[in-house]
Amino acid sequence: MSTAMNFGTKSFQPRPPDKGSFPLDHLGECKSFKEKFMKCLHNNNFENALCRKESKEYLECRMERKLMLQEPLEKLGFGDLTSGKSEAKK
Amino acid sequence: MGGLWRPGWRCVPFCGWRWIHPGSPTRAAERVEPFLRPEWSGTGGAERGLRWLGTWKRCSLRARHPALQPPRRPKSSNPFTRAQEEERRRQNKTTLTYVAAVAVGMLGASYAAVPLYRLYCQTTGLGGSAVAGHASDKIENMVPVKDRIIKISFNADVHASLQWNFRPQQTEIYVVPGETALAFYRAKNPTDKPCFCFEEQRLNPQEEVDMPVFFYIDPEFAEDPRMIKVDLITLSYTFFEAKEGHKLPVPGYN
Repeated sequence: MSTAMNFGTKSFQPRPPDKGSFPLDHLGECKSFKEKFMKCLHNNNFENALCRKESKEYLECRMERKLMLQEPLEKLGFGDLTSGKSEAKK
Repeated sequence: MGGLWRPGWRCVPFCGWRWIHPGSPTRAAERVEPFLRPEWSGTGGAERGLRWLGTWKRCSLRARHPALQPPRRPKSSNPFTRAQEEERRRQNKTTLTYVAAVAVGMLGASYAAVPLYRLYCQTTGLGGSAVAGHASDKIENMVPVKDRIIKISFNADVHASLQWNFRPQQTEIYVVPGETALAFYRAKNPTDKPCFCFEEQRLNPQEEVDMPVFFYIDPEFAEDPRMIKVDLITLSYTFFEAKEGHKLPVPGYN
């Protein structure tokens, strides 16, 4: 990346993330969930697929504590986990 | 054999000659003829010739008088070709104006083409520009491509003037396209003065926060022929210091 003023080159237009940015968790309310997730990753050789349950729980924590806008988990790509849970409940 | 033919005084009155022989007609005719012949060089004939010359001269003088002359036209003196030349000149001027207008128009179009093309690329998504699709619907319906494992490595940078500790909490993570993933960065403000994040969230002195990154790789990635050999993606975040009303420099794109 160069910070020089290049008039000829195509300038990079930064795009904000689709859902915005997470508000800072100053009080560390969801820290325990994060720790669980990190531990899971370490144990599973950093494979995300095996730790999706923990990541879902972290996001749920955030939504509960108003650190994230409420959104159905299906829209966050956890459809398989939620349907599994609802099936288990039945 | 008609009547008498007396041409005398009628034919040559201006010469001052008078016909003084009213004799026989044949003889009168004989006498008339020499006077009427043009090569007659007697004084009467000369006078007549002079008068003729005089008239001709007067005509030409009238033509060259400046007060009566029409405005000067270049080259041709014939009025028909003059009009044609005028017409041709006018046509030339019109053509020149049109050509100049076209040239200027082309120049303007070449300048306008750059932003217009960029706009077109962004809306249609051609040329590799990112298109903002219906993200939430896509996420809901996307199916993970389980056989394509991609390694995501994380990088964290801060701007030289910023004194934060900013680092990822995991060095890498393995995902597949179509699967949402979570990752964490940690930022600590070791100084005693509060700083602003890039979204203007303040980090208090000695405060440390976890910053989650929630992302996914589009399932279309697996079908992209240009991405066949790609197995490593690096996510890099850089923190810049944001002052009040300070416009952040946009990094150059090579």
